[in-house]
Amino acid sequence: MKTLEFPAPPPRAGDEDLRREVRNFLESRLEGRSPLQRAESWNGFDRQFSRELGQRGWLGMTWPRKYGGHERTAFERYVVMEETLAAGAPVAAHWIADRQSGPTILRYGTEAQKEAILPKIAAGECTFCIGMSEPDAGSDLAATRTRAERQADGSWRVNGTKLWTTYAHEAHYMILFCRTSGSPADRHKGTSQMLVDMRATPGVTVNPVLDLMGQHHFNEVHFEDAILPAGSLLGTEGEGWAQVMGELAFERSGPERFLSSIQLLIELIGALQGAGGEGGRNAVGRLFAHLVTLRHMSRGVAALLERGDDASVHAAIVKDLGATFEQELPDIARSLIDEEPDLASTSHFASVLAYTTMAAPAFSLRGGTREILRGIIARQLGVR
Amino acid sequence: MDEISAIVSDTARRLLRGLAEAAGTWEDMPESAWTAGWQAIEDSGLLLALLPDGDGGLGLPLSEGLGLVRIAGSHHGPWPVVDTMLARRFAAENGQDVAAGPAAGGPSEMAPHQRDIAALARACQMAGALEAVLEMTTAYVGERHQFGRPLARFQAIQHSLAVLAGEVAAACAAADFACQRIAAEGHDPILAIGIARARIGEAVSRGTAIAHQLHGAIGYVREHRLHRYTTAMWRWRDEFGTQAWWTRRVGMAVIAEGSDGFWSSTVAA
Ligand SMILES: Cc1cc2nc3c(=O)[nH]c(=O)nc-3n(C[C@H](O)[C@H](O)[C@H](O)COP(=O)(O)OP(=O)(O)OC[C@H]3O[C@@H](n4cnc5c(N)ncnc54)[C@H](O)[C@@H]3O)c2cc1C
Repeated sequence: MKTLEFPAPPPRAGDEDLRREVRNFLESRLEGRSPLQRAESWNGFDRQFSRELGQRGWLGMTWPRKYGGHERTAFERYVVMEETLAAGAPVAAHWIADRQSGPTILRYGTEAQKEAILPKIAAGECTFCIGMSEPDAGSDLAATRTRAERQADGSWRVNGTKLWTTYAHEAHYMILFCRTSGSPADRHKGTSQMLVDMRATPGVTVNPVLDLMGQHHFNEVHFEDAILPAGSLLGTEGEGWAQVMGELAFERSGPERFLSSIQLLIELIGALQGAGGEGGRNAVGRLFAHLVTLRHMSRGVAALLERGDDASVHAAIVKDLGATFEQELPDIARSLIDEEPDLASTSHFASVLAYTTMAAPAFSLRGGTREILRGIIARQLGVR
Repeated sequence: MDEISAIVSDTARRLLRGLAEAAGTWEDMPESAWTAGWQAIEDSGLLLALLPDGDGGLGLPLSEGLGLVRIAGSHHGPWPVVDTMLARRFAAENGQDVAAGPAAGGPSEMAPHQRDIAALARACQMAGALEAVLEMTTAYVGERHQFGRPLARFQAIQHSLAVLAGEVAAACAAADFACQRIAAEGHDPILAIGIARARIGEAVSRGTAIAHQLHGAIGYVREHRLHRYTTAMWRWRDEFGTQAWWTRRVGMAVIAEGSDGFWSSTVAA
């Protein structure tokens, strides 16, 4: 059969205590956070909040103790991720580092890199950004032009421009995907990953790019004869493509790919109390069936990660279905409740609807577009 | 799945696949062939797979019996395999004699909990049938040439197929989810069945549309196997409670928990 089997996650992971603990913490810590703020989901940034999660042992959860981790299971980590997302906690200061940069360093980093960086991520003290996309290398990541040249003293000289770099302006480090030999015509050959200290590298400039809401999340990052010290190479020179594919699998694997609009669903249920009739029940039943199925599949991805298996195609399926689910939400909500969307409204439904409508286009772009994901799935089916 | 149930399901798969492939155009099938097929199914013991322990069944837990139902959905032939499995289970539960022969027309006179199990069986059949449809469609776009190349070389075709694969994966996950939940403590099995029926019903709508589109006109003829699956699923999705009825039932339960209870309901489902 061609079906991609999702392994069955345990129905209960013995996680009730952890879940209760996380919920209690979030309930008091996030008191007074408005629904509109919660709707920002993993875009919400609060360094102190990330530190507090770190202090509780809820970051770097699956990593070895000697790097500041807690050697817990992928399912326990999943509990913390989904509870923070469902509560609309401001997780951006640690999200990328905990999700993909840390695991990439753990897999490919030198002992020195692991010792220097992983404990800081686990403590919630270290923000990462993703240096993949460029003006002329979006979906076609192998067209990357940014180039790092090895100097006589072992350091690297970097020139080029990265674009759409989320939270580069707050980040301590970037994992940079770039060319270390050859030309863009060589495609994925000759590419590598580098660790860039965003605070202490002369020649690195970060310029804001405002999004359609006028908010500053992503950036343009220029490298102009920027010098990275010897020891900045992450992993193996020339193996950047295989490594960055692994990083993308981490990037696509989590529950944020279908939970980032959950606040709108919560507001919709609230607005439907005592209203909505058959149409409301039908719509909510359908959305809930999608949500629970996505969660079951996503916990299956966690089961694959726990076993150390490749989860990249499974993650692509969950991300593609998740984005479609989330992008349908605003129109379904609009069809059921007669309220004008308005960011400034005192109605939580109206403000969250306005926000989610404007956030939605990005869901099928960031982390790999819908078309790229479908190409990955088609390849798995053997037709590409 | 333990070793015994792996052997049971392999055997069932081999038997039903062979029979379904040999069935040809059902309407033209000689009666003797039909009877021989039925006898082979009867002899395999498959029809007793949903019987409760101690009633002469195979001693399989219900969730694994439903795994066989899914296989029957994947290799759907002109015999009422699943309906007979259900009828025999319910007869045994009701203390009646387990009648021999096919239960065409399905089980009659069900208690509410039996109706729920029948609804879940339909969900599993649909998941299995969708798997078969994905397999057939993937093979077809690899074989059929137009414009001097296989259809599979066109990106539009690849992406449609990817959407189909996503729907099939979701349908199988929803069926697995419900089968797991009816066996686990602390969950509402009815809610889980409703979730499976709502999600799988939608996967059927999207998936069958894509499969027919990618097969072109050949998939629309009586002699082709595709419609054995698609038309069956269009019935199954509304049997033992329509998809709309199950969906509203889930929606009612979720709305009743209110916005404060929404996330807890999600985790507890
Ligand atoms: C909110 C947000 C945050 C982001 N954060 C980051 C970040 O932190 N770091 C980072 O590196 N990047 C980031 N990105 C960039 C993101 O990874 C890219 O937007 C994405 O890879 C697509 O590239 P592009 O925007 O250049 O679009 P393009 O690649 O130009 O694509 C435009 C359209 O054409 C389609 N297309 C392209 N190629 C094909 C093909 N072969 N077949 C069919 N269709 C195709 C695409 O699917 C898309 O629909 C972010 C993007 C967003 C929206």
